[in-house]
Amino acid sequence: MKILIVDDFSTMRRIIKNLLRDLGFNNTAEADDGTTALPMLQGGKFDLLVTDWNMPGMQGIDLLKHVRADESLVKLPVLMVTAEQKREQIVEAAQAGVNGYIVKPFTAQTLKEKLEKIFERIEG
Amino acid sequence: MGKPVMEEQNILTDENIARVRDLLATLERGDIKGANEVIDDLASIRESDIYKEMGKLTRELHDAIMAFGMDEQLSVLAENEIPDARQRLRHVIDMTDQAAHRTLNEVEESLPVCEQLETRSKSLHDDWLRFKSRDMDINEFKQLAHRLDKFFEVNTNDASKLRESLNNVLMAQDFQDLTSQIIKKVIKLVEEVESNLVEIIRLTGAPGGKKQKDPKQEEKLAGPVVPGVNDGGSTVSGQDDVDDLLSSLGF
Repeated sequence: MKILIVDDFSTMRRIIKNLLRDLGFNNTAEADDGTTALPMLQGGKFDLLVTDWNMPGMQGIDLLKHVRADESLVKLPVLMVTAEQKREQIVEAAQAGVNGYIVKPFTAQTLKEKLEKIFERIEG
Repeated sequence: MGKPVMEEQNILTDENIARVRDLLATLERGDIKGANEVIDDLASIRESDIYKEMGKLTRELHDAIMAFGMDEQLSVLAENEIPDARQRLRHVIDMTDQAAHRTLNEVEESLPVCEQLETRSKSLHDDWLRFKSRDMDINEFKQLAHRLDKFFEVNTNDASKLRESLNNVLMAQDFQDLTSQIIKKVIKLVEEVESNLVEIIRLTGAPGGKKQKDPKQEEKLAGPVVPGVNDGGSTVSGQDDVDDLLSSLGF
């Protein structure tokens, strides 16, 4: 299971990375915005994308749209972890095909539940 | 500032008429000194008016200078204080960033220590249970005793490592005190700018009523929800709300 973590704050990337490792996901990579993340996704075989929304360069929502528009990535599960809590934004992310939406600040338990849900749906 | 207008004063008083008669009489007598005195008297009537007007002008000038001084205060705010505040806020970002990384470093170093401790304890516990149920020969027991010795030694070491890490995590929290002092200063500055701007709006008589929607505002992302600050639009309050909203959309 290879996971790409995209967030412009390195501390948040480290937190997510540590939480994922605690859940048994040791194979992670990091990117600081959509522009750097997209070629990584296209080049390496990632099984999950965890992305922030608000980033300089390409934002998370646009990264999600690019992923869904890319034939090789269309089925990649995407989990959004963001401070954006407006209803219309959550709806927008859902319509763009997000697989899970976590608002910051979040707990390790929330991350675990959302990941389990995503994998359940993929397997089911 | 209006053009000063001399107030019309009634000079047709009996006193004044008497003064003019005096003047005429002194002149006819050839009393130059007396005539000069009367003329001085008459002139003083006008002079007191001029002093009054001067007083009014001085007050207006004073007010104008005060207003100008406030303009200057605002330019000091704009030229020095605001860039200074920006610098201070950047420093806050740096400090919180450092604190977070210091904490994360310690956590990343401590977690493997905990994992090893857990693994060692588990394996020793299993053997210990075997020993208690007498399911162990003497050679194995000698090995177990040796491992126990080692275990105590390593644990003491690891415990002090963990204590040091936790102390470092504790120390990393000192940013909170410092950053809040800086942020409070900046809040004060913002208040100062606000009251100056309000005063200027009042002085220039700009209409304060009409609120125009900033077209950029709508494109901006709202970011983290701050209690007591309404960014407009409806926000969810936490993960449960997000889950409810998503499930209502068929998730």
